[in-house]
Amino acid sequence: MAVDLTTGAINKMLNGEVASEADMTPVLQVTELKLIQSKRPNQEAINRYKVSLSDGILSQQGMLGTSLNVLVTSGNIQLGSILRVTQFVCNLIQNRRIVIISNLEIIVEKCNIIGGTHVQAGMPNEPGQQLGGGAGYVNTQSNGGYEQQQARRTDLNGGRYGVSANSPQPQVVVHNSSDAGRYGVSANLPQPQVVHNNPDAGRYGVSANLPQPRVVHNTSDAGRYGVPATSPQPQVSQRYGTGSGYPETSPSIRPYGSAIAGYGGSGLEQARAPATTAYSRPVQSAYQPQSPPMYVNRGPVARNEAPPRITPVAALNPYQGRWTIRVRVTCKGELRRFSNPRGEGKLFNFDLLDSDGGEIRVTCFNDVVDKFFDQIVVGNVYLISRGSLRPAQKNYNHLHNDYEIHLDSASTIQQCQDDATIPRYQFHFRNIGDIENMESNSITDLIGIVSSISPTGSIMRKTGTEVQKRALQLKDMSGRSVELTMWGNFCNAEGQKLQNLCDSGVFPVLAVKAGRISEFNGKQVSTIGSSQFFIEPDFPEARELKDWYEREGKNAHFTSISREFIGAGRQEVRKVITQIKDEKLGTSEKPDWITVCATISFMKVENFCYTACPNMNGDRPCSKKVTNNGDGTWRCEKCDKCVDECDYRYILQIQLQDHTGLTWATAFQEAGEEIMGISAKDLYYVKYEHQEEEKFEDIIRSVTFSKYIFKLKIKEETYSDEQRVKATVVRAEKLTYSSDTRFMLEAMDKLRTGDANSLPVKTESSNYRSDAFNSGIGTSGIGETASVDARREFELPAANQVGQYGNQYSSGARPVSGMISCNACGSNGHVSANCPSLMSEPQGEYTQGRYTGGGMPRQHVGGY
Amino acid sequence: MDASSPAVFVNGALLRRFIGQKVRAVIQVMRSDIGSVIGKSTDDQQIVVKGSPQLPLTTYLEVIGIAETDNTIRAEVWTNFGDSFDAQNYNELCKLANGEFRHMFI
Repeated sequence: MAVDLTTGAINKMLNGEVASEADMTPVLQVTELKLIQSKRPNQEAINRYKVSLSDGILSQQGMLGTSLNVLVTSGNIQLGSILRVTQFVCNLIQNRRIVIISNLEIIVEKCNIIGGTHVQAGMPNEPGQQLGGGAGYVNTQSNGGYEQQQARRTDLNGGRYGVSANSPQPQVVVHNSSDAGRYGVSANLPQPQVVHNNPDAGRYGVSANLPQPRVVHNTSDAGRYGVPATSPQPQVSQRYGTGSGYPETSPSIRPYGSAIAGYGGSGLEQARAPATTAYSRPVQSAYQPQSPPMYVNRGPVARNEAPPRITPVAALNPYQGRWTIRVRVTCKGELRRFSNPRGEGKLFNFDLLDSDGGEIRVTCFNDVVDKFFDQIVVGNVYLISRGSLRPAQKNYNHLHNDYEIHLDSASTIQQCQDDATIPRYQFHFRNIGDIENMESNSITDLIGIVSSISPTGSIMRKTGTEVQKRALQLKDMSGRSVELTMWGNFCNAEGQKLQNLCDSGVFPVLAVKAGRISEFNGKQVSTIGSSQFFIEPDFPEARELKDWYEREGKNAHFTSISREFIGAGRQEVRKVITQIKDEKLGTSEKPDWITVCATISFMKVENFCYTACPNMNGDRPCSKKVTNNGDGTWRCEKCDKCVDECDYRYILQIQLQDHTGLTWATAFQEAGEEIMGISAKDLYYVKYEHQEEEKFEDIIRSVTFSKYIFKLKIKEETYSDEQRVKATVVRAEKLTYSSDTRFMLEAMDKLRTGDANSLPVKTESSNYRSDAFNSGIGTSGIGETASVDARREFELPAANQVGQYGNQYSSGARPVSGMISCNACGSNGHVSANCPSLMSEPQGEYTQGRYTGGGMPRQHVGGY
Repeated sequence: MDASSPAVFVNGALLRRFIGQKVRAVIQVMRSDIGSVIGKSTDDQQIVVKGSPQLPLTTYLEVIGIAETDNTIRAEVWTNFGDSFDAQNYNELCKLANGEFRHMFI
């Protein structure tokens, strides 16, 4: 019976013009009908019917409301039935239009399919099925053969189309361009809807001539079935709505699936599941887009991998369902093994970057590691899909993404052609100046010029393990320099390379990805496991840096935000003795470290040493006081051992005096030896064993009234309810007038320029002047140098860039954070006068000392 | 030594300012002749010191005397300063003593 279908209705539906019955109630024909069973976990199976409705030109997928199911089961609605849809909604779900039909009128129950080949829009075809077929669809599998399937379909389809595969139909041209192409009609027609198809076509090498039974999504399927290009399978081609029983697994289907989930509780999904399982595992990873489809009659049909939907990495989230990303591997971690209560395992990470700049880390465990480890190569572009998203572990994962991907055995990684839109690396560089303000333990990228690098040292950790460490200085345009510490492997590989470059006079640009900022002697940057170094990289920033360095950077002064190396956390702060009291040094939580130039005015000789335990604890001797057992052996409490020969260690109480005041300090072994010039043991013997009083006295006398540069650690300690500020001599150096003079001159310079900055000249300066003549140093009468060696009463301004800190003088407090930066080499801890790399210049132009690279002061770690 | 008039710290460049006055300078001995010593001032200028030192000379020598010309000093007092000396510091001293801080010295 001829009934007019509302032509153009579907089109309108697709466009969105028709969204519900309010707009129109079209008369449509059922071209497909399929039962979907949704199995909710807690409920019984719900049957829903999925239909394809056609208006003679186009068809569209839809779902029948469950209330209408009865019509289907009773046969009132069957394939070919013509209905007027009286209540419906068109929804756009994941780019697909789906019609949800709540009510309809049956106009004709049984009818031949009207219209030409339909382009199904919006919905992948379900493995169509004959009515009443129950849940299963005609399965290629179950049929064991494509041919059969076709055969079965033929009748169905033949009527429908009545058109041979090769006769192009006008509609064909319009809508079925894809089909036409597929049918071998030499149409390389553009396929507007068939966006999805094309990749499939390409992917499966389906040439234009390949007959593809279905529209859009079917292309892939066809491809999968390896329908040979020339095989005349008109029926196949026309097997439109009738599913070939292959799983609709194109990604477009996926969304449908999830869309349907909205409807019927993932009905579709579940319904599919059996299908797919019937088809066996989607052999996704076996897919190579480049290889031609060889799925001729192959039983298991893989899911359609077609990656038309590349998700941006930044949009990945756990709730997304299936996604595919096209990314480049920027970093590949090492294979790591672990063991946890569940047993042993292994894992590896790699980082990805996509063309939008989104980054994400991927982790694979155990078996998955085996699967992918070799496949992943840094720098290649891959298509990855089907992994699960988990929240990122921020303590390991420092990328800018809240999630990380965990791949499982269902995941797929395919290499694809290099995509130039994906950058190779992604950095978020910071200036060294910014780093100073960033908090510790945060991760950053940075780029700078390597100004110096020191040789690898070995540090003993508290755990007893040794670890390699290497330091280098990075400078950048913010005028700051920072120390970058390399640990472990970095020392050797990159460290060596950098060393070579530096030695050869080149100052290489180094970009660091993922360095951790730590607070140790100011701010420092350390490498972590996932850090990456790029030496002389090819970024615009690098070139910029290099140019800048050539122009100014070489000679510019740099303030280091990493403080000096000597001693842990100590800065060379010159003070005078009265300042200890005035400024209440040592009273804060942490000890204060200062340097004074003073004379030993007195030394207690009674207990200048003690008997110490010689047992080695790591690489340091225990040094705890041992008690005499009476029989010549000595017992150490800490080591719980007895030794015959004990060590003698200095514990000198000395009185230090400078022009401002005096203080007591204690010097232990190292400093003691330096001061006395003789080992404690020898001195002990001299006094007690050999009873050489005279000699002893001579030694003592020679020591007193000698002038030293003392590095003191000041700390307030509580002695039975009493607070006392104690000073410990950490290091004592004999004063060399020459270098000290330079120091003074430096200071004077700074003072002078400080004055020039119109700061009030404080009393220090006047003290200085008045004291200029006071060359009352205990020893040495060299006039000039002595007078120049006037006391350094004024505080030294902190920075090299004098103007910058403005030389805040105040009679009492000085900027404790002041550090002495050497004008000559930019490192800290000394001035150019003392600079190890300074070459003596006759003109006294300290400020232009050339930096010779290397020769960084030794770094003491641990200890103090 | 006659300490009535203090001697001005000079280097080569400053010497000419104090011709006829009592000056003191440290020089590095280059050559020693009868009656004079040729040396290099701390700013690398040649100075001739007239007189004869009684003692054997070390590398560095301080002389106190009257400046005769802009490169000659007639020495009255000779003092050996040894072989190591920081000329740079001394030079700075001279500059400071005659510049910013001369009020401290004279």
